Formats: sequence, C-alpha cells, structure tokens
Amino acid sequence: MEVEVDEKELKAAGAEPLTDGRHGLRIHGWEIESRKRSILKSSTLELWEKKLETYHMPEMVFGDSCLALKHVKSGFTIHFNAFDALVGWKKEALPPVEVPAAAQWKFRSKPSQQIILDYDYTFTTPYCGSETVKFDADKLEGGEISKDTCNLHWEDCNEKIDVVALASKEPILFYDEVVLYEDELADSGVSLLTVKVRVMPSCWFLLLRFWLRVDGALMRLRDTRMHCVFNDNASPAILREICWREATFQALSAKGYPSEDAAYNDPSIISQRLPVIMHKTQKLKVPDNV
Amino acid sequence: MSDLDRQIEQLKKCEPLKESEVKALCLKAMEILVEESNVQRVDAPVTICGDIHGQFYDMKELFKVGGDCPKTNYLFLGDFVDRGFYSVETFLLLLALKVRYPDRITLIRGNHESRQITQVYGFYDECLRKYGSVNVWRYCTDIFDYLSLSALIENKIFSVHGGLSPAISTLDQIRTIDRKQEVPHDGAMCDLLWSDPEDIVDGWGLSPRGAGFLFGGSVVSSFNHANNIDYICRAHQLVMEGYKWMFNNQIVTVWSAPNYCYRCGNVAAILELDENLNKQFRVFDAAPQESRGTPAKKPAPDYFL
Repeated sequence: MEVEVDEKELKAAGAEPLTDGRHGLRIHGWEIESRKRSILKSSTLELWEKKLETYHMPEMVFGDSCLALKHVKSGFTIHFNAFDALVGWKKEALPPVEVPAAAQWKFRSKPSQQIILDYDYTFTTPYCGSETVKFDADKLEGGEISKDTCNLHWEDCNEKIDVVALASKEPILFYDEVVLYEDELADSGVSLLTVKVRVMPSCWFLLLRFWLRVDGALMRLRDTRMHCVFNDNASPAILREICWREATFQALSAKGYPSEDAAYNDPSIISQRLPVIMHKTQKLKVPDNV
Repeated sequence: MSDLDRQIEQLKKCEPLKESEVKALCLKAMEILVEESNVQRVDAPVTICGDIHGQFYDMKELFKVGGDCPKTNYLFLGDFVDRGFYSVETFLLLLALKVRYPDRITLIRGNHESRQITQVYGFYDECLRKYGSVNVWRYCTDIFDYLSLSALIENKIFSVHGGLSPAISTLDQIRTIDRKQEVPHDGAMCDLLWSDPEDIVDGWGLSPRGAGFLFGGSVVSSFNHANNIDYICRAHQLVMEGYKWMFNNQIVTVWSAPNYCYRCGNVAAILELDENLNKQFRVFDAAPQESRGTPAKKPAPDYFL
C-alpha cells in the first residue's frame, strides 16, 4: 500500500524515504522496509517443500515478500517472512480440523486402497516474527563477543502496549500490509498470515496476524503486536504482545452469535467474540555488546 | 441490433443488465442448457478455459488472446463467479454469449456455481450490492443447476471442473446423474466438481478435512483407458504458470485467472486445440491497471490496533 506522505511531515519527524525503488523509510535509527512480490513459482515451491520436508504447502506462498525493521546502530533486524512461519507450522504439526461434511463422508462407501492424509492443512503457525543480528566481525574474531551472548531474546514482562497512545491520531508516515501466505482450504474457509505496520513520528507499531476460518467448524486468530517508542538510546525498547483466540462455530452459536460462515469474513470485527486461549507480553532484550 | 446483441455489447463494457433483462436471459439460457448432456459433446477446434472468478477485465484479456466468440469456439470449465469484483458482469456476459451462440460456447459447472458457496465467497454480496435485492442471485443460481457437469472433446479429451470420483468409472455413469440440483455435499456429482489430483497418492486419498477426494496416477490411467480418452483437462486449482501436467501427461490443470485475487502475480493460460487436437497453451497476464476500473487496490492507511 503506497501512501503519499507529505514530504514536510516526513522531514518534521526526522524521517526520510528509502531510495532505489525500495519501499519504506528511515527514522530515529530504524530502517523499515516492506517488500511485496508474487507468489512462488512451482520450482521454488518444490525447493521449499524439500527444505521443509513436506509435500504440502499453502496455495499462495508470498515467499519473496517480507517486512523488515532494522535497528541500524545495534545491527539487529526484526523481520517477517513466510519461510520461518512455515517452519513453525511444520514443528507445531496440529492434528487436522474436520469440516462439517466429514460426518456424512464417514458413511460413504470407501474406495479400495484409500489413503487418509493427516497433515495440518490449516497451516496454523505459532510464528511471531524472526530476529537476526549482524555481528561485528572484528569483535567476533577478536573474541570480544561470542555468538551465544549476542542473541536477542524476549523476556516476559508486566508492561502493556500503550493502546491509548496508539489511538491518538498522529500522522502515519509509513503504512503497509504484506501477505505472507494464504490458502483457501479448497473453498472450505481461509488461512491467512499477514503483517501490517504503521510508523508515526513517535513510534512504530505492527500486527502479525494468523487468521483461520474452517467453514462451519472453527476459527482461530493468533495475533502478535509489537510496539517501539522511539528513543535515542543505543538499545531500543520494544514490547511484544501475543494473543491467541479460538472458538468453534458450535460454541459461538451456543452463545447466541450468528453461525453462518459469511458473518466471519473480517477477523478485526469479530475478534472479541473469540475467547482468548493464550496471552503474554514480552520485552526485547538486546545484549549490550551487539 | 437485437436486444441480445445490445446486451452483449453492454456487458462487454462491464455494465450489468437490468434485473428484468437478467430474468429473461436466464429463462432463455435454461431452455438451451436443459437440453445439454451431463457429458456435453464438443467439437474441435476449441479453446479451453479454467477458473475466471469474476475477474472481468482479465477475461477480456483472455478474449484478446484467444479471439472473440463466436469466431473462436470456447469451453469454460466453471468457477465464473466469486472472489473477483465483477462476478455479475462476468457470468452474464458468458451466459449471454451462450444464448446468442449456443454451439460456439460451452459452459460447465464449477464448485462455485452453487448457492451455498456463493453466499460465503462474494457473488451473493455482489448481487445484493449491485441490485439492492437478491433476485439476480436467485436467477443465476437457478441457472447454475442446469449447467452441464463435463464435456467430451471429439471423444478424446474429457473435461471437468474438479476431477474424478470413486463412484464413476465410465462416462455413461456420469450421463445418468440427475444434475438439476444444488451441488450435493457428497456423491459423484460433488466429486466431479471438487476433487483434486494428488502426487503423493497412487489410488484414492481422503483430504485431511475429512471430506473431498484426492486421486492419483493409477486412477487417472484406468479412467482414461476404460473410456478410451487421451487425457483429462480440468481447472479448480491455482497454478502459478497457468497450466500444469501431471501423471505423465494424463491430466492437465488449466487456470485462467491471472494475478488471482488481484495480488498473486501469477500468469494464466488457455488451451487451444486445433481440428486435429494439436495443443497450444496460450499464457497471458492480467489486464493492465489503467484498463480496468478496479476499485482502489490500495486502501488508505488505518489506525489498526
């Protein structure tokens, strides 16, 4: 989503757009870039299948698309990509969700030599982003630092993302939404992993969302929100809130909510109806020697 | 110029018909479709097209590449509606061409040509939005029930939207299906519109969803052999390159919606068969942005939380 941002607003915020056809901006020591490309070609998809040791991939894998937020001074990058998310899917390996028609199908006469596939066709992933650190090669070789001590990690905390501050209508200097993968579940619903970001003069905020609707069966929402208030310290303060919600259509209709699939097209509208099954807030720890 | 020709011209500009015109068009179409067989005979030369999904301007690209109907003889493998922005105009144009040139265009049913599916994936909402009532959706979905289930080109190429069914081993078994109904949740008719070929099964596979068949190479071999056909041509699945052969060229998937859902960046293809059944795939891109009245692709930034 390219947005025409007022040059003056960018300047006033001390930001500058990225050049060379890259889509994003530099602001307060951050380089924030989004890249949106086509879905993977069959040959690349096969390569990924081999790497992931699977025969199954989402129908639409935007494997060359990503969102990256690089903290220039400390050299670490928080980024979001389809491959790492699929690694998470493969590892979690949830059991398949049955569609309502499955009940009828159990009574169908079975063809001889039938194989039942049992992978998680919903591509549910616990993915909440990737981090990489670009090591200072000199320090690494000189033994000043070791790779182990350089790893970023997230620590549970009691702080909360300041939603009130985020609700204030500061100008948005950069905004984009990147689809990482998507599957139509063979017209039985939707599985969609997207990340959207907005950058304001005082902070950046992003939402990584895995959204699943298996028509007539189940809805699952796994949100990861990250918020970084700009400061000029060496290590930035980043909060991350992970919230998983899930409900069956049966449970929703028992609560008096509509049970048609069409009522659940937009997760942002119906998220409150889905009970929270996991929630945590974490803070990024950046080692001093990075 | 007859009313019908005028309507075709109007639809070619992506302008929908009046509700009363849609009703009359559907009645005429019904008279034609009711006479068609479940395995509709098609003569070569013919150009085979896969899913369109309401991408009207991309279908115009398809006609640019393949030639206009009736000059080119067309076979469309279903999934005319849902997901794209112009399901109404797309389906009505194809239907008007069918009524005007019944022997030069064949439309068979896809799994989206169904009341249940269109209520979830866009066509129902689009009709409501464009007409203020669901009458047009009713007329169209009633017509869906009359669409043929498959086609047989020169007795040599079997064409169907989805694939095969364990309940079907001969074409005659398809001919006996009573198709004039909503697509059922199981059984032969459901399978023809929904099933998929799958590399990792040899015989039959059941989808992890617990419903929906997958079929392997040996199933296709025996079907082709038993019915004395060269290969199967189907649609139903997105293929980045526009078409894809499987199982030693015994089945081919043709996909005709370029830049699917306006974001995938894939190419599309149609399969041209000449009078001797020689094949040529024609690959094409989505219509350029300026030639389509696409609603703004890029929504304004929002203060999401």
